[in-house]
This record gives sequence, structure tokens and C-alpha cells, in this order.
Amino acid sequence: MMTAMPAIPLSVGANRIIRGVRVPHVCGDPALSEDRDRELSERIVRTALGALATPVTEPTLFEPSQSAPEKVTA
Amino acid sequence: MDHPIRVVHYLNQFFGGIGAEEQAYAPVQFKDGAVGPGRALQAALGDEATVVGTIVSGDNYFTEETESAKAAAGELLDQLKPDVMIAGPAFDAGRYGLACAEVCRLAQDRGITAVTGMYADNAGVLTYRSEMLAVSTGIDASEMAPSLQKMARLAMKVLHGDELGPASVEGYVPRGFRRPIAHGHFGYERAVGMLTARLAGNPHESEMLISNYDVVPPATPIGGAENAVIGLVSSGGLVPRGNPDHLVGAHSEHFYRYPLDGFDSLSVEHWESVHGGFGTLILNTKDPNYAMPLRTVRHLERQGAIKSVYPTFFSTTGNGTAVSSARRMGGEIAAELAENHVDGVLLVAT
Repeated sequence: MMTAMPAIPLSVGANRIIRGVRVPHVCGDPALSEDRDRELSERIVRTALGALATPVTEPTLFEPSQSAPEKVTA
Repeated sequence: MDHPIRVVHYLNQFFGGIGAEEQAYAPVQFKDGAVGPGRALQAALGDEATVVGTIVSGDNYFTEETESAKAAAGELLDQLKPDVMIAGPAFDAGRYGLACAEVCRLAQDRGITAVTGMYADNAGVLTYRSEMLAVSTGIDASEMAPSLQKMARLAMKVLHGDELGPASVEGYVPRGFRRPIAHGHFGYERAVGMLTARLAGNPHESEMLISNYDVVPPATPIGGAENAVIGLVSSGGLVPRGNPDHLVGAHSEHFYRYPLDGFDSLSVEHWESVHGGFGTLILNTKDPNYAMPLRTVRHLERQGAIKSVYPTFFSTTGNGTAVSSARRMGGEIAAELAENHVDGVLLVAT
């Protein structure tokens, strides 16, 4: 599950949670250039695919890789 | 109390009069006295207590920049030193409910009596059920005044150190505690009483409250994404432009299936979000892929990072959705995906 509000699925018991960007744009960031936005989206989706291949025993949060560009406040 | 009772109220950007969804990132701020619904709160409190100020924050700000928001709200509480914190009510608004719960926790940490109000299925309850006192409300603001009256009454009761009765009697959301009491009848008598009432079709109340939430065992990991068929699900309210199936913006009981064959991406010409719980301007004018990353998934499919994409995507609106509806929809979607040998699912929750 990709979401900008991981606290909720962590508490109600979704097992593989990927931190998205923001509620209105979970899988990317319109404040970035098109290229960097697509890179960010790919990092999020690749993190999600990696999560699917990772054994977990309880609700677990996966952070898209650390090289993610800094979030820009709307 | 040897001084007039000081009350601080917490509201989101909407009820706090800053603006609608476009102000959802407004940072924590302070307003003097009662604002908006705070006037009804003041009326409910009467002469006993005074709403000295209102803390207002955008819903997205509080739930996404939680640490900064909590620091700012905590600082305000330290300055204002209220006796009582009243948050909301948030009804069934999930982000607002979470913020109300966080504010109550901040207040309680400081020894301040805190009461909020929200719908029993609100995300705030799901997250902090045992750590807050929340009056049980309906789903929308039509119950504003009676909800605030109940919140004021409960807050004064707690402040004065009066013992709280059970949730069903006092009107708050059950916190998951069971308190031993001396009962006039033995357990077997009560059990037989319930059974005979049930057989006779008379009302009866179980003493065992069952939690709403399932513990779902995690699925076994997929062997490797490159050999996986991936299914796509979104609760972002995505529909073909014009919304032919009339997907609702809140309280959805249905999901819809949309073919992805021939689509490389979700374009604003062909797709839109009808979600009623957040600002959909970006999805609807810029890029619907933010709520279901088809463009990226297709790109990864071409690169061989996944084997293929299941040709149908599943769409609903996740906004005030009843747990029972969500459970049923999830089961139906999972059944179809499993039957068609889909290995893994990407679900975007907005």
C-alpha cells in the first residue's frame, strides 16, 4: 500500500506500507521537474515492488530510497 | 478550581475559518477566543468555563508534518496553560480526527483534561482509541451543537474528577478497557438471560465487545518482481472522465473495474478523480498517475522489472468508507486477482 499517511495503515494492520509524497499526489511531486518527478515515482514504485518481495511479520513501513529529492511544501 | 476554567479549542482549517481544502497545508496557528463552532462550545460551557483561544491547523499539515505540527501545538499549550482542551468534533473526517487525537494526547501529556468528538470508525479512533476520550458523533456536521454539548459535559466531568461511567452510558467511543464491577447476578444467570431474550426476540446486550479489525497475516513474499504479474488498485476515486458508473466521492460501497489494455498512462483527457476527501486539482488538471502510477508501472514493464500488469484496474473512493464495505470490496478484489494468478498488488491509498 502506497500512502502519504502511513500512521493509519500501521495502526489498523496493513502489512506492507510504502511512504508516498502527499495525499493529493501520493506517487510523485508536481513541484519537481518532469524528469525528477518521474524518477521519484519510479523510486516509490520500485520500493513497493521490493516490499512485495520482502518477508514481513507485522505492519511494516518501507521508505523510498534516501536519495529522494527534498519535499516541497505546497 | 480556584480560578476561572480555561478552555482551548482545536479546529481544522475549514472550521477554523482559514479556508477549504486549498488551505489544507496551513500550519498551526492561534486565534484569540472562540472561533466558528467554538461559539457553540462556549454556549455549552456556560459561565463555568471560558474558551480563551483556538488552535487551528490545516488537515494535511497536521497529518503529514506531524512532528512540526505537534511541536507548534505543544508550544501553544505551554503558553496558554488551559485546564481543558476540546478538539473538533471531527465527525468522519480522517485527517481531522487524527489531528484531534494528537492534540488531545499533547494536552494529556501536560496534565490537561482533553476531550474530542468523532465518528467511531474515524482514523483517529483506529489509531488512538485507548489514549483519548472521544464523544461518539455521527458522520457530519449536522450534529455539531449536540456533539459539542456532550463534549463540554464530559470534559467538565473529568476535570472535576467525577468517575466516568461506561462508554454506552456516557456517550463516548469505547476505549477498549474493561473495568471489573460487582454485578448482582452470576455470569451463568446473565448468559441464560441473554439467551432467553435472544430466543424471544427481545433486545439484549453482549458483555463482550468484539474489535472491528482483523489481524491479516502478511502474504508470502513474491519470488522476484521480474517474474510477477502485478495488479493495480486505487482508493483515490479514479474514474474515466465523466464518471460513467457514478462512483461516489465518499462512503463508497462499490468498486469498479476499468480495462488498462492500450493505456500507457492515465491522462487528464480520459481520467479524473471524484474523491471528495482531498483536493483533486492536481490529479484532475495535471496527472492522474499520482493516484495510480500506471505510467511508471508500464515503464518498469518495458524494462522487464515486472513481468506484466493485470489488464484491469480496480477503483473506489476511500473516504469515510465503512469498515464492513472495505472488507467486502477488498475480499472481492483479492478473489479475482488470486483467481487470475496475479502475484502482487500495488494499492494507492490517498
